[in-house]
Amino acid sequence: MRKLINHLMSGYGALFFIFLYAPVILVVAYSFNSNPVNVMIWKEFSFDWYINLFGGETNLSDSSAYVESTDQLFSALKVSLTVAAFATVVSTVLGTSVAVAIARYRFRLQGFYRLLLMVPMVMPDIVLGIALLIFFVGVGMNLGVTSIVIGHCTFLTSYIFIVVSARLAGMNPMIESASADLGANEWQTFRRVTLPLILPGVIGGALLSFIISMDDLVITYFISGVDSTTLPVFIMSMIRRGIKPEINAIATMMLMASVLIASAGIYFKSRKA
Amino acid sequence: MRSFNGQQKQLLVLLTPATLFLSVFFLGPLLIMAVYSFLEPGLYGGVEWSFYPWSYGRVLGWADGFYEEFDIVYLEILLRSAGLALATVAVTLLLCYPVAFWISRMPSRWKSFCIFMIALPFFSSMIIRLYAWILILRDSGFANQILLSLGIIAEPLDLMYSGTAVILGMVYIFVPFMFLPVYSSVENLDPKLIKASQDLGATPFTTFRRVIFPMTLPGVIAGSILVFIPALGNFVVPSMLGGAKVVMIGNLVEQQFLASRNWPFGATLSMVMILFMLLVVSFYLLKVMKKQRAA
Repeated sequence: MRKLINHLMSGYGALFFIFLYAPVILVVAYSFNSNPVNVMIWKEFSFDWYINLFGGETNLSDSSAYVESTDQLFSALKVSLTVAAFATVVSTVLGTSVAVAIARYRFRLQGFYRLLLMVPMVMPDIVLGIALLIFFVGVGMNLGVTSIVIGHCTFLTSYIFIVVSARLAGMNPMIESASADLGANEWQTFRRVTLPLILPGVIGGALLSFIISMDDLVITYFISGVDSTTLPVFIMSMIRRGIKPEINAIATMMLMASVLIASAGIYFKSRKA
Repeated sequence: MRSFNGQQKQLLVLLTPATLFLSVFFLGPLLIMAVYSFLEPGLYGGVEWSFYPWSYGRVLGWADGFYEEFDIVYLEILLRSAGLALATVAVTLLLCYPVAFWISRMPSRWKSFCIFMIALPFFSSMIIRLYAWILILRDSGFANQILLSLGIIAEPLDLMYSGTAVILGMVYIFVPFMFLPVYSSVENLDPKLIKASQDLGATPFTTFRRVIFPMTLPGVIAGSILVFIPALGNFVVPSMLGGAKVVMIGNLVEQQFLASRNWPFGATLSMVMILFMLLVVSFYLLKVMKKQRAA
């Protein structure tokens, strides 16, 4: 009886992972399918869609190629990378400093700050997206890279805060007292003791923030201007216009980037100092 | 002038940037949105600066009474969204609960690998994960190809553009949100209590109902909230997999901002979502506090 239950659980677990990964693997597999008419009918293995995206010569006829100009795609990629880089730097500084303040000092508003940094994580994206849209339009700020960076920082700060706080909570505070006892001032202690110890958490959180920013769709959708489309927003508009095989190739490359950066981020985040 | 001591100065340095940033770009916009929801929509987009509570009336069915009849269409959309979000919560819970137990019994290296594999999709693009389901579900998609070639069906089935497709898509997107809190509560179960229950003669079912489930309840509630709130406000999944047939409150908000240009009404709908959020979160906090007080 017990054995049967164990087998059932394993089967269920296996199905769960198939459900989680099969659809994505399908996209990756079919990005190498040369069939230009129906993406889901396998014809033969080819790199054509990738070559086509990078502007190389392929056997594909012009009509089957979809992205009118790959320029659009690359400019969207450029916007995404720029936004992710700036948003990551700003939110890493903001989130880490609040995390250090809450973990290492006692002050009256601690509860308030914890709540303030929890709310963006729980709030539906769309609410934050339109609140920011109303705000930017109201103060007369142009929608563009800057507005997207600001928008991303509002929720990435919370994310960094959570990752770094977890790191600080797992740290032995005696090490810092020891540093103080040995005559280091507070700044020296922070720079020479605390920071190196939380650094893996900070780097991990920053990498994860970078990828969350790269992949964010909903908030960006509302606050990106006409000439500042990010990659996910661009892909959504592509999908809305019709399913074409290039999307598989773009999707595969984005998935690879996500997997690489997120793995590195999770590795750093959980690494022992 | 008041002088700060060293500690206060450091605290000031650490907190000021984030405080300023979040006040201006997070709390500020939310406040402005709250104000907007009480303003009169202008004729050509924009707003009139006069007090206008009818956007809230409109959600419930009563508009200003001049040009709109009593119509509960928005209430229906709201209830449908809540229904779809609840269904999503139920399915993700059914998926994650047994898997959490399965993984918690693994050797620790496998454990961390499995958790990593479940958390990983959270960091990959949502639009691409949904796109995968479009490839599977559409008329000439993967599912129909397989069913056709196996001879199970003669005509392609309409799998997209239904409530089921929307629930499926949301489950797929939100699974990690349910799994992680449920798993951490399962992992923290005290095996001694389960053993005690068995020693006292409880059947496995009674042990589950009276001991295991109540102890994992905090994780279940936390996971449910983390899935319910974003599912309720989601507009990407219904617009990709639900089409025009399954309109959720998120789509309605999107329309108000990008098509109908009735910003106050869109702001009102957002306020309704915030209200929902406050309700479920305060329910959670009350539950937790009750637990803590009891303990």
